[in-house]
Amino acid sequence: MNYFVIAYYALLIGGSCLAAYYQKRTPFLLLFSLTLASFIMGIIGGEGALWSVTIAAGIIALAAGTSYAFREFLVIVLPREMSKTIKTAPLTASFGLFVVMTYAIAGIFAPVIAPFSEAEVVSSAFAPPDQTMLLGADQLGRDMFSRIIFGARNSVGLALLATAIAFFTGAVAGMIAATKGGWFDQVMGRIVDVIMSIPSIIFALLLLSIFGTSIATLVVVIGVIYAPRVFRLARAVAGNIVVMDYIEAAKLRGEGTWYLIRKEILPNSTAPLIAEFGLEFSFVFLLVAGLSFLGLGIQPPTADWGSMVRENATLVSFGEITPLIPAAAIALLTVAVNFVVDWMLYRSSGLKE
Amino acid sequence: MNDVIKIILKRLGLGLVTLLVISVIIFGAVEMLPGDIAQAVLGQGATEENVAAMREQLGLDRPAVERYFDWLGNALTGDFGKSLVNQKQVSSVIAERFWNTLSLALYAAVIAVPIAIFLGVLTALWRNSPFDRVANVVTLTSISSPEFFLGYILILFLSVKTGYFPSLAKISDGMSFWEKLDRMFLPALTMVLVVVAHMMRMTRSAIINLLASPYIEMARLKGVPGWRIIVHHALPNAWAPIINVIALNLAYLVTGVVLVEVVFVFPGIGQMLVDSVTKRDFPVVQACCLIFAATFIVLNLAADVGSILTNPRLRHPK
Repeated sequence: MNYFVIAYYALLIGGSCLAAYYQKRTPFLLLFSLTLASFIMGIIGGEGALWSVTIAAGIIALAAGTSYAFREFLVIVLPREMSKTIKTAPLTASFGLFVVMTYAIAGIFAPVIAPFSEAEVVSSAFAPPDQTMLLGADQLGRDMFSRIIFGARNSVGLALLATAIAFFTGAVAGMIAATKGGWFDQVMGRIVDVIMSIPSIIFALLLLSIFGTSIATLVVVIGVIYAPRVFRLARAVAGNIVVMDYIEAAKLRGEGTWYLIRKEILPNSTAPLIAEFGLEFSFVFLLVAGLSFLGLGIQPPTADWGSMVRENATLVSFGEITPLIPAAAIALLTVAVNFVVDWMLYRSSGLKE
Repeated sequence: MNDVIKIILKRLGLGLVTLLVISVIIFGAVEMLPGDIAQAVLGQGATEENVAAMREQLGLDRPAVERYFDWLGNALTGDFGKSLVNQKQVSSVIAERFWNTLSLALYAAVIAVPIAIFLGVLTALWRNSPFDRVANVVTLTSISSPEFFLGYILILFLSVKTGYFPSLAKISDGMSFWEKLDRMFLPALTMVLVVVAHMMRMTRSAIINLLASPYIEMARLKGVPGWRIIVHHALPNAWAPIINVIALNLAYLVTGVVLVEVVFVFPGIGQMLVDSVTKRDFPVVQACCLIFAATFIVLNLAADVGSILTNPRLRHPK
């Protein structure tokens, strides 16, 4: 028994007593079940387990604090209409927004932030971290930190481009199919069925084996694989709108298909489509990361998170966590986007289960 | 009952057609190579004679349609031609690896399915409780992480730091069953983490959908105890979505193994696919893709058929 363990339990038990006294059910349940779980963990894992619980709690508290502050910041900065919606956002959503913004800044200002360029060899292979290299060097002696910053630009940029292409083609085709119907709808529907019945990573591997792994083919291949998903959603959403009276009225006025899509359907389907864009982005991002991890994505020396994990994977067997940082960067962004999408879907569907 | 058989036959027929179309795509994709296979494999530096010899060996002088039917016919009897890299029969290598991949998927499924359904039902019953909120965040994180991230984390903590399990899943014929299970534990656990998260979320939303229906409300209003509502009123209708969830996730397990196999150096069909893609060994790529696509379609069909059988409303479509 040392001071840390005593303080740890004192804090937990004191916290649960306070929560119970003020009749706060949820915090009490959380705190007290954590206390009980800590008894077991402390017996099995010793002091180390309690330390990791403390660190995890600290990280969660930090994240919650940041997202709370960021939400308040947004409420003040944004114009009134938007700040009203932001105010009701859950903490997870504002955490997601915060992470997305951080990544965007890192990506856009990468050359300014990163101390070295992405392909510059600055030290020996796998050099440990020091003052100039925050995270040490990779397998060729390039600065890990700089490469992660540049990776934000390359990996995310590529995924964004591919998503935009998939989303644009899918959404346009879906809306045309819904407004026109007939043979176009039928043919597109069947094509989409076939593409969606092939698992995406397998299809990507097949196409990449044939067309090679340049960035242009990568973007097009991913566009082809993910456009069908957007098509289905866009067609379903537009299908609900097409039967409305105001569409009928517009048709009677003699408006063409393009006008209907642009002026009537699009403004009424933005909410689900934006949420779908986010969802689609996280799928595409994971697929791109997976492909680069397999060595089939962005080719070296361009910094890319997926391939960085693979190149430095040997370090894992020495107990180092450096190769996990780019992987964590991928996971963090996807989680963040999902948090935001979750909130948007909740808002647009009005689900109040 | 006749109606059901008719609908199921229709679905199976549709699946067969899809499979045929996919085989055309897989075969046709290779035909779309700039030049042809011989040129692509031998590269720019190949002499005219070499290319001509390879063309003859592969029978490229015949029309594509004829070769497609040859390829498909052979594939149906389990003959996928010879590997371009080492001239071995593709089928002899694939058979064993496919079995490995299937057993890995099965291993993960046996662990994942009961846990996921149990936890999914719990989150649905205690929705909006702290347990549900925490589960939501945890499952979302697990879904959003790339498989190789989870895999390396598991290697780092369960293998390198503590030494509980071996980090490389190399298995061979000589090993006993338990030894194989031990070797395969970490890759299986990686997949379990992803699949449990998916299944929990799907089960949760299926059950919540169900609990919102009027007849459940009716049962609650007339004073039926909670467990009875679940067992007698909700569960019979919940089977269809749950079977659907299981089949869809099994399909994911079989195809999602590619990354996991590479991380753990597991001798499965996914790793073979990745290897042959980098080596541009087209017969192997075609064979692997066909097998993956077929498994995926069969499992999706199973999901459809299962939901038809358990849902009276689907049995009598309007």
